[in-house]
Amino acid sequence: MRPFLSRVTILALLGSTMLSAAPLPPPLPAEHLTVEKLGQLSPHWVYVFDEALLNEIDMRVLVFDGDTYRRLGQIGTGFMPGVNLSPDGRTTVVATTYFARGGHGARTDVVEFNDNTTLAKTGEIVLPPKHAQTFPMLFDVAYSSDAKFLYAAYLTPAASFGVLDPVKKTVLGEIDTAGCALVIPFGPNHVASLCESGRLLTVTLDAHGHEASRATSEPFFDPDHDPIFVQGIRTVDGYAFLSFLGEVHEVDFSGGKPAFRPPWSLVSAAEKGTWRPGSVQVGAIQRTFGKLYVSMHQGGAGSHKDYGTEIWVFDLKTHQRTARWAFDTHDWGAITALQVTQDRSPLLFAATERADLVVLDPQSGKAKHVEKQVGQSPWLLMSP
Amino acid sequence: MHPLDRVFESSARSLAKRTSRRSLLGSLGRILTGVALLPLLPIDRSARAQTAGGAAKPDSNNPQSCEYWRYCAIDGFLCSCCGGSSHSCPPGTQPSPITWIGTCHNPNDSRHYIVSYNDCCGKVSCGDCFCNRNENEKPMYRLSRNNDVNWCMANTEADYHCSVSVILGVAEK
Repeated sequence: MRPFLSRVTILALLGSTMLSAAPLPPPLPAEHLTVEKLGQLSPHWVYVFDEALLNEIDMRVLVFDGDTYRRLGQIGTGFMPGVNLSPDGRTTVVATTYFARGGHGARTDVVEFNDNTTLAKTGEIVLPPKHAQTFPMLFDVAYSSDAKFLYAAYLTPAASFGVLDPVKKTVLGEIDTAGCALVIPFGPNHVASLCESGRLLTVTLDAHGHEASRATSEPFFDPDHDPIFVQGIRTVDGYAFLSFLGEVHEVDFSGGKPAFRPPWSLVSAAEKGTWRPGSVQVGAIQRTFGKLYVSMHQGGAGSHKDYGTEIWVFDLKTHQRTARWAFDTHDWGAITALQVTQDRSPLLFAATERADLVVLDPQSGKAKHVEKQVGQSPWLLMSP
Repeated sequence: MHPLDRVFESSARSLAKRTSRRSLLGSLGRILTGVALLPLLPIDRSARAQTAGGAAKPDSNNPQSCEYWRYCAIDGFLCSCCGGSSHSCPPGTQPSPITWIGTCHNPNDSRHYIVSYNDCCGKVSCGDCFCNRNENEKPMYRLSRNNDVNWCMANTEADYHCSVSVILGVAEK
């Protein structure tokens, strides 16, 4: 052994000598700390709202690129916020609550504006402490079609909404919506709210953001036996509301008052009551191609918040189901939220109960990428 | 009608559909008593996990299990895992004075009970034993039946900590 060890020792010494004799590479250059720039907005960016269930005073939006699969950055959103995008997609607006000392202390409600090209906060409007603190949806804070007004839902628990000027950053007023809740803007000066009677309340504003008139529709759904989800899905001319049992209520908001199309069903007679839409964000619509994607599960009454185990695809013209895709709940968990991009080469996104974000081909349903653990509880996906 | 009146009118109508007049009066009396003793409001921060996050085994008689019978429409962290119980808030928190009402079946005596889902407020999320069940739960436009909102909303300290299920009385048919 000794001769062998001696040889090893000699070789090591030789190697060490040779290494020390080799020229060193040039030193790394000094660096300058910079801030990443996002560049052009992309239709394939998705804004992932994370409820941050275990620390709800610290909810946030992650911006994710569906082409490069990169996490681009984050927007802080406080406690139980409403979030939305401006009509031009350049701003993420957040209506939220902060407490002066973290989890307690004086409550400040505020609307914050974030530039989506920098993810920097650009301004705010302090609200009365009435902001509706509820689960994420697109009708908590929303812009008028021309972006001249911004509406924030209030709940104390009396329901009303604030009319804001997003340019001058001021509160213009408050409008009572007794018996109805949330803000569904249409046109430059109309705001609809969903009523407990199954009706729609429409408030029309004057040029100063004050109430000019209001009208209430006839009931268009049955809130006792087959309620609709409040997560309306934008269509070409309005919104589609899905019911717990799978009826689709399309409302045309292109005129001065809402028009209701005859409801149609996602499920056959045999499937009704056993297969249901569910999750937090129950569906998405690709408006150019007229496709509706719905998060579906098997369950009985009271399962309307169960996460989706399949994605069903429907043609909005024929109302026919064109595809039914099993979701890999074993590997990813069930679906909490669905979103599809609106460009001509769209991407479908599904967030899951395990906080994964799955990027899918909306034609085939095949997964293109799975981004693991994008937060704690991704419950809402936004796309311009 | 004042909006607040509408909320309570709606609650009363919902109760009336499920209870006799006598039990309704009894329940309302308990509610009023509860309002006097407790803080005023219930809210829920809306959660959607399907089962309790704690280690308790599923058990319809275990207050630390999401399957506990009186949690049939609760949505939040179970106060019984956070230093409280099924009907008491953890130390240092404040009960919500407003709440929403549900009806749950007790398998032990085959009765249906009216329960009040109050939230306990003023501290950050408990983070333990998350539970979301939705028997007869309705969306936010039917507020008196909704478990998605923060029922701590009207508290001086409005942060959500956990949820309880307080028995108000028997729902007689």
